[in-house]
This record gives sequence, structure tokens and C-alpha cells, in this order.
Amino acid sequence: MRIVHLFLLLVVTAIVIHGCAFSRGTLGDDIKTEVIDSIKKGVTTKSEVLTLLGAPDRVLPLNGRDVYQYYRYDGKVGSLLLIVVNFSRVSIKGDDLFVMLNQNGIVEDVISSKRTENLEFRFWPFGD
Amino acid sequence: MLRSHARLAAFLSVVFIGGHFSACNVVRITLNTPLTPDDVAFIIPGQTTLPEVVDRLGSPDSIGNSNTGMVSIYRFLDMKYARVNFGWLARPWSPVDPDLIFSRTGFGTDAFEVFYDSNGVVIQHSFLRHVTDRTFHPYPF
Repeated sequence: MRIVHLFLLLVVTAIVIHGCAFSRGTLGDDIKTEVIDSIKKGVTTKSEVLTLLGAPDRVLPLNGRDVYQYYRYDGKVGSLLLIVVNFSRVSIKGDDLFVMLNQNGIVEDVISSKRTENLEFRFWPFGD
Repeated sequence: MLRSHARLAAFLSVVFIGGHFSACNVVRITLNTPLTPDDVAFIIPGQTTLPEVVDRLGSPDSIGNSNTGMVSIYRFLDMKYARVNFGWLARPWSPVDPDLIFSRTGFGTDAFEVFYDSNGVVIQHSFLRHVTDRTFHPYPF
């Protein structure tokens, strides 16, 4: 009898949750932490930055200095398809790296953070 | 025993029929981490520096010139979409598939801007749109 109830419970669960979906999309290449760490303020040159990271996604002028911006976006989508209600949640985060170069082409400052590391698949659209 | 099976069969029938008639969609799209005034309360103009801001909030999405030095911008989005199709209610009795859809989207785009002087000390900071927390609300009128 217990097996029948378990089977029925599985059938009901399978019908109620009649689908779920996982999707993922990325834009740009991963910016490796060890590459960022190898860029030294006051030492690394513009050509070395280009060798390490390639051409920047954007070049921003900043008070006579050049700022190279590299970015990468990661998006994860979770969908829970129930009988009368479908829940979907899309979470997108970006990693940005800014390399500030002085007028002599030497790295003056590096600003970076990896926001995509903690990105998870989420289904529930309510709350945080 | 027979009664409980009949009840279960009725429940399964409702579930099965309902399975072909999903009527509501709730979707949320989040871009970056939405910031609140509490998240940026640590920033004190004239004291907090660029590295401290980056340490707490991460790197900005863009950096630009300002008259005083530079400005960093943190962009984020918290979009909420809800949709209800009341036409589904008539489908069991209708020869066609009628639709009566109510839906509403709250885009919730905002940005947080921080202005620095030439030494990288915060001069001023502000949210762009002051978006308040929106709820899922399918009624469009």
C-alpha cells in the first residue's frame, strides 16, 4: 500500500512540476585573477597590458589619462513551470576591470572585481 | 478505500486538466546587485576613497570625467514582470482558445553615481532614479 501511495505521490509531483529549465549565456572572455595580479602599478606598461589582456573592450579618456576597460557578463536563468503558474528568474552579473594608464603609458591604478563568482541559478522571483 | 481513490482520481483529473492551462507567469530579471541606501551608507563625502568604495561595492560599470575629477557609475536593474491570462478559464467550454491577458512590467533601472576629486576622495554620491521596491502587479490600468 505504501508503494502505491509513493508511486501516486511521484505521479502527482511529476504532473504538478511539469517542467523546469536551466539556461546560461556569457559575453566576453573570463578575466583571470592571476593575470590581474600580474599587473603592477608604476611598473607594467601599456604594451604589456595589451599582451596580457588583449585589446580592451572600451578605451575611456580620464583627465588626460587612458583607461582600458575589460568586461565579461554571465547570465543564468532558472524556470520552474508549474500547473497554473510559471516562475522564472534571470540573474546577470558582470566582471569589470579598469586599467588606468598615465601619460607615459605606465599603469597607474587597477580597479577590478569578480561579481560573477557568486552567481547562482535561481527560480524563485520573490524576495532578494 | 474506494472513496479515497475516487477523490484522488478527481484530484489527478483536475491536476491533469490544469496542466494544460497554465495561466500565470512571474518573471524577474536582475542585472548586477541592486544597491540600496543602506548599502552605500558607509560612504562619507570628504573621507571615503575610491579603493574603499571598490572594496565594498566592487568595480563600477563605467568611469568618466567630471569637472572635479572623475565619476564612477554602478548600474543595476531589477525588472519584475507578471502576466495573467483569464482566457484560460473559458477554454474548457470554448471551441476556440480565447485570451484575455493582463500583464505589467516594472523595469526598475537605476544607477548609483559617485563623484571623486583628483585625489580619489568622494565628493558626492547619489542614486539616479531613486527606484522604490516594486511588487509583481499584473493589473495594467
